[in-house]
Amino acid sequence: MPFKRFRQANPLLTLGLIVAAWLLLPTALKTLARASFFELTAPVTLAASRVRDLQDFWALRARSRTELIEAGRDLARVNASFELAVQQNGELRAEVARLEELLRLPPLRDHRLEHARVARRDFSGWWQRIVIRKGRDHGIPAGAPVIFSGGVVGRVAEVHANTAVVELISSPTMRLAGVVEGDTRPISFQGGVNPTLAPPRGVVELMPLDIIASPAVPKRLVTAGFGGVFPPGLTLGTILRADLASDGLFKSGEVALDPRLGTLTEVSVLVPVAPADAPVRAAP
Amino acid sequence: MTTPSSPSPSGQSPGLTIEQRRAHDPRVTFFHLVVALALVVLASGLAYQQLLKVDAHAEAERVQNQRRIVHPGPRGQILDREGRVLAGNRPRFSVRLLLDALRSEIRTEQIRIRRNYRQLEDAAASDLPSAVQILQIARATVVQRYLDQVNALIGRAEKVDARDLDRHFARELLLPYTLLDNLAPAEYARLLEGLPVNSPAQVHTASVRHYPHGSAAAHTLGYVGTGDAGEIEDFPGGDLRTFKMKGTVGRDGIEKRLDDQLQGEAGGAIFRVDPAGNRIHPPLQQVLPRAGQDVRLALDLDLQLAAEARLAETEMAGAAVALDVRTGEVLVLASKPDYDLNAFSPRLGAAAAAEITARGAWFKRAIQGVYKPGSIFKVLTAVAGLRAGTLDPAATISCGGSMRVGTRSFSCHDGTAHGEVDLVTAITKSCNLYFYRAGLEMGPEVLATEARRFHLDQPTGIELPDETRRMLIPDPAWKRRLTGEGWAGGDTAQFAIGQGYVDVTPLQMACFAASVARDEVWTQPYLLHDPARPPQRQEATGLNAAQRAALLRGMEQVTQRPHGTARIFQDPRVLAPLPGLRLAAKTGTAQKQDPKGMINFAWLIAFAPVEDPRIAVAVAIEGDTPGEETGGGRYASPVAHAIFKAWLEKRNRPPGLPVRFRNG
Repeated sequence: MPFKRFRQANPLLTLGLIVAAWLLLPTALKTLARASFFELTAPVTLAASRVRDLQDFWALRARSRTELIEAGRDLARVNASFELAVQQNGELRAEVARLEELLRLPPLRDHRLEHARVARRDFSGWWQRIVIRKGRDHGIPAGAPVIFSGGVVGRVAEVHANTAVVELISSPTMRLAGVVEGDTRPISFQGGVNPTLAPPRGVVELMPLDIIASPAVPKRLVTAGFGGVFPPGLTLGTILRADLASDGLFKSGEVALDPRLGTLTEVSVLVPVAPADAPVRAAP
Repeated sequence: MTTPSSPSPSGQSPGLTIEQRRAHDPRVTFFHLVVALALVVLASGLAYQQLLKVDAHAEAERVQNQRRIVHPGPRGQILDREGRVLAGNRPRFSVRLLLDALRSEIRTEQIRIRRNYRQLEDAAASDLPSAVQILQIARATVVQRYLDQVNALIGRAEKVDARDLDRHFARELLLPYTLLDNLAPAEYARLLEGLPVNSPAQVHTASVRHYPHGSAAAHTLGYVGTGDAGEIEDFPGGDLRTFKMKGTVGRDGIEKRLDDQLQGEAGGAIFRVDPAGNRIHPPLQQVLPRAGQDVRLALDLDLQLAAEARLAETEMAGAAVALDVRTGEVLVLASKPDYDLNAFSPRLGAAAAAEITARGAWFKRAIQGVYKPGSIFKVLTAVAGLRAGTLDPAATISCGGSMRVGTRSFSCHDGTAHGEVDLVTAITKSCNLYFYRAGLEMGPEVLATEARRFHLDQPTGIELPDETRRMLIPDPAWKRRLTGEGWAGGDTAQFAIGQGYVDVTPLQMACFAASVARDEVWTQPYLLHDPARPPQRQEATGLNAAQRAALLRGMEQVTQRPHGTARIFQDPRVLAPLPGLRLAAKTGTAQKQDPKGMINFAWLIAFAPVEDPRIAVAVAIEGDTPGEETGGGRYASPVAHAIFKAWLEKRNRPPGLPVRFRNG
């Protein structure tokens, strides 16, 4: 009978031994184990992501030819407008380079864009993260800014061989310096405590008292560019409300973030370019 | 066939199922009872906790999950009479380290340091630092680590002040330690992005007093020190963990005198926090702080700056006061040397305080400096003699340059004979002999009574703390009481020309000048501006029209005639003309015996325009070199001229156009 009881306790004993072994393990080994675990599970994440892409592909294949023709026409229109914007951008870039030369300004920090598909989304009240399908092997560094067509996505928090974890700006542990468009005074932006399926929100603090924002008169919040990480002028969100903060010195308020943050499929990582690698600016 | 109830021969009941047999097992029954009892206990406990102690648990949860922040209300602004900010508020950014969060890190560092010392082979046991020293090293190392992180983000190379850190740990452990103060906007923006949200090092903002004009009216405005944030009336959450930001309290000047009015009302908020201590917006409850009331001073910034600039040019200590003749509002209250008020925000360093002390800049000469008035007192002597009937404006005396009073010889102010002198000429040339005789004829009591009628024996009551009470109008009774000696004729002669024992402040003499301008005996000075303040109506001097005309003519000629003591006003090579402005003035040069020798003090009182007086000025300059002729005409006149010039430009300018635009 005692032997039987001992055998029944085996699983608990084993669990206890494993926990004790984990606790006694050197920190380096634990770190290695954690990293290895992520690398081991990464193929599963990537495979699942690619299966989803395949699923989307076959879903599109099921569309009728008429739908595809209409989509093709729409795309052609969008492409035409983008081509026009590219031309205008080229002219503006040349003008900026000319003015920089004229004013002897130091060149702006250059970045190259590394586009990456989103492999997994990990949203909770504690953090809001996505895993992208590019990592160290693609030259992505930790801390690099991540953007999409709607503005800032977040910052690379962890980098692995073929994947990287991006912390979204809607995460409460994410903080940036922003400015209200057209203003130069820095404002603190921080992600809010966002429920999983709710529209993403953030908060602004240290907002000067003379800036008025309300649902009727929203203000666009963009990156300040002071921090050295994010280039200036990237959209963070829209300040919908700003009230006098409890310190009486500033306002604090709520920022509506782009709702597409929750359904991102592709993002771009801004990888800083070393000065030697930077492309030569076009002469004015 | 055996019935189920009949026992077998062996004494067992083979026909019973196991369950039936165990149901009757007393041990099982006992076990059931025990389990039932345990369940009852558990249920009772649960009910007790859930029904009876629910309030206590809810309260404990509330205390654990909520934080209360109390901010002081912004301090009211101090404005000049035209609404320009003399003292305001500005945000100040700093990086602060939450020491509570460093305990385990410091402990680990202590262990590491101790181990390193023990591993040193050549270290003797006596060389090992004490436990306290290791703790101090560990604290400094950990704090420096965070400071290095901040340095790397903003490109600085700051080092931790170990002594300051130890002092903070010893006295203010519960408060965050300030790593860097007064950050530029770009620096705090970098730190906002670079420092992790949950780092013990965090960017902090506070409101500090800001004085846009630096040292302007420094002694009048005063300064603030660190104080309590105050309490919020009817704000709940007194039992919550409360973070109370420091406030300010007025320590000197108007900041101190009107502290109740300037002090804002504290505000606060109660936030729910996540397990890491991060605030969850929006706050559960919030009371917005309310700014203190603004205070509008009677000072005119343009005139104040003009007076201070000219005082500074003399490179001597001194004071200048200007009053609105009709209302008594103080337009200028300047005193040099002074200090930059921004050096007090957030606190004045020991070195800066020592430097201010060394320059004697704490001393508010306009309201605390007591000086012999010298010849400007002759105006009072003249009024006293005219009222007493001992002085006839038309009568003349012969000034031979000196006269004997008792056993002493008294000379005229410049040692030269003025010849035949009447009241107008005596004032114009500041003839001592004329006023010696006038004083001797009326006697010291009459002179003292007249001086007291002009309130020269008491503080003015201006709305500032620390106005001196050391002003003095002597008389024979006072001298006997103080020294046991009798009053001599020489004392009267000295008294009549503002020397001897008489002491006054520059503010008093400005009030005196304004009173003479209005032909009254008293002007109550007001530092606070009231647009609806009525003109003052005090007791008249009692001079008849002819007497007053003679007095004013004498004072006007002081600046106009080639032999007037303030003729510098008419010298375009020295002072710019003041077109259309008729000035009445009286200069003075008082002497004071100093350990270094005889020091001169330059004085000037004046008012303008003579025909309709609006502004009265008093200037006092302390000579700094023994034996140097620091005359009122030469040294005090330019300061008064600067005030009158600024005043005249403001009076003549089109409405809404600032003075500096007209100056180009």
